[in-house]
Amino acid sequence: MRAWCLLLLMPTMLFAQDNMWDDDDWAEEEERTYWTGFLEAGLGTRFEEDPLVAGRSTLEDLRWRAETEWQLDRYTVDLKLDAGYDGVENEWFADIRDLSLGFTLGENTDVSIGRQVQTWGTGDLLFLNDLFPKDFQSFFSGRDDEYLKAPGNAVRVSHFSPAVNVDFVWTPEFEPDIYLTGERFAFFSPLAGNNVAPRFTALEPQRSFDNGEFALRLFRTVESSEYALYAYRGFFKQPSGLTTSLQPTFAPMSAFGASLRRPAGPGLFNAEISYYDSRDDRDGSNPLVPNSQLRLLAGFEWEARTNFTIGLQYYVEWTLDHDELLANSFATEFEPDERRHLITNRLTWRAGMDKYTTSLFTFYSPSDNDFYLRPQFAYRHSDQWSLSIGGNVFGGEEQQTFFKQLQDASNLYLRLRFNY
Amino acid sequence: MKHWLKLALISVILPGFAAQGETLTDAEEIVRRANLAAYYGGADGRSEVRMIISDAQDRQQRRQFTVLRRDIEDGGDQQFLVVFSQPSDVRGTVFLVDKHIQQDDDRWLYLPGLDLVKRISAGDKRTSFVGAHYFYEDVSGRRPTDDTHELTDTTDQYYVLTHAPVDSSSAEFSEYVTWIDRQTFLPMKIEYTNSAGKLYRRVEVLKAEKIDGYPTVTASRVSDLLTGGRTDMQFRYIKYDIGLPNSVFTERSLRNPPRDWLERPAG
Repeated sequence: MRAWCLLLLMPTMLFAQDNMWDDDDWAEEEERTYWTGFLEAGLGTRFEEDPLVAGRSTLEDLRWRAETEWQLDRYTVDLKLDAGYDGVENEWFADIRDLSLGFTLGENTDVSIGRQVQTWGTGDLLFLNDLFPKDFQSFFSGRDDEYLKAPGNAVRVSHFSPAVNVDFVWTPEFEPDIYLTGERFAFFSPLAGNNVAPRFTALEPQRSFDNGEFALRLFRTVESSEYALYAYRGFFKQPSGLTTSLQPTFAPMSAFGASLRRPAGPGLFNAEISYYDSRDDRDGSNPLVPNSQLRLLAGFEWEARTNFTIGLQYYVEWTLDHDELLANSFATEFEPDERRHLITNRLTWRAGMDKYTTSLFTFYSPSDNDFYLRPQFAYRHSDQWSLSIGGNVFGGEEQQTFFKQLQDASNLYLRLRFNY
Repeated sequence: MKHWLKLALISVILPGFAAQGETLTDAEEIVRRANLAAYYGGADGRSEVRMIISDAQDRQQRRQFTVLRRDIEDGGDQQFLVVFSQPSDVRGTVFLVDKHIQQDDDRWLYLPGLDLVKRISAGDKRTSFVGAHYFYEDVSGRRPTDDTHELTDTTDQYYVLTHAPVDSSSAEFSEYVTWIDRQTFLPMKIEYTNSAGKLYRRVEVLKAEKIDGYPTVTASRVSDLLTGGRTDMQFRYIKYDIGLPNSVFTERSLRNPPRDWLERPAG
């Protein structure tokens, strides 16, 4: 409770320092070592009780963000720190989202070492060749979109040349997604044949050079068209494999892909493909290890009317050696379809000189017959205050499908943020 | 006859003076020069910009950013890199624009929280630029060929022109009037009228100076005459012809803004 009072007091303390911009401010701007960030309170609740998870609350965050940057000669250190209290898990937390050292080698090579968030690929909330860690607990509970991307400890080397640009990211210790453990949200277990909330921890690969993650992107823009090739060696990011003692684990995986993004007609077209090579189950016969997959995506986005944008995507997850999978399965009825089709739609409407943003993101799978809706209304009251209200609504037909399993996690949330 | 001789003499002895003193009558030529003066000073340039956005109740928001610009061709394609430093929720956001005359602009936005390079589809450019009363088009320039131009008055100080959109569905105005300074060719005031014949929007230069030899706007204001809101924009630390290379205007600069070029020039 005391922390909440502090949240309400902070702005008055900071407003007092506010004054109109005058000529002196310009001079100050450059030299000042800044600290910026925000204070945020977030509350979210389920529509209905989930018998497997205690309490209806899906979000109870009180979060303080502090950000700064130090420059020493040609070196830059970035820091982004989150600290606060998570009422759903009943714990204080301190997360470093960014603590990295950046510098330039020679003329055309940028290096960044340390904890950092990384993103690439062309999908909108769909990731094929982007195998950097994602935080689905944050995503499903209504935290800011930023938290979908989890930080990882990595070395990034980017080389730029007119012929081709190269990004190489080495993550020495495997960084899995922040997956559903049953603590905040229950999920479907094919072994149990129903939803479970075991609060489990998956077995992570042992620390070794060979068990690190290596990600490569070659990219180039030619006449408004962006081309990229990708390669990855590491593991499936979700604990979709099982050890022989049936403990969830991460199966070895390599990926190869390509993407294109370019203007087309009134909007933007993007296409991406990725082949997931399940290295421990190349013929698909091992029921403990996920099969290889082909993932395909095509999307189109355009401003249909002034300040109203529509984005459509079509995505396919094609499980290879599907016959082998079924032939060796423990429970064929819970295995994925050979081809899982997914259609997404993002509608965004901005109004009042961008003060109000209303959006709806829809995932719908015609093959699984399940859906996930993400409505959101965001109001930016001032440079300091903003408010977001939204929902995560899941549904479908069969319990084992991806979105249907989360039906009891359907929630509404509200976030109030003060930027400083 | 005497008059002609005098004019000829002056133009030989004082060519600069004569050029400034000449009175243009061709609206297309005035618009061409105004476009060059307003958006194409030097081969490239940098400026720090801050905006104060005020609504009718005088509640204020601020934006501060640095702009780097490079012309591919005078009056033609250009590149822009806009790096935001304030307010805190947009700090680190970078906007990259390849402005094209013959096709839609290419625009990218870097969102640092997600490390996301987002491409922005071509859209209505007469919408708010980062929440200000300025439009994207006010910042990067409207194509002269999008409007018809008519010289309606020539005063001691200004050419007064009236413009109407070629395609009336492409803009929210039915016409606008510009007051173009006869010496500098900077548009000093622009007033927009809607289809109801009502004056609803005004862009005005509050201060202009000569910087590195180029007449330059250093303070301007856009007013929404219907709601009473306005945005004041100030420019500082302006420098022209700094030799910006093409490589500054690439994806590299989105993740890693080019410090050497963003640094404030000495003096």
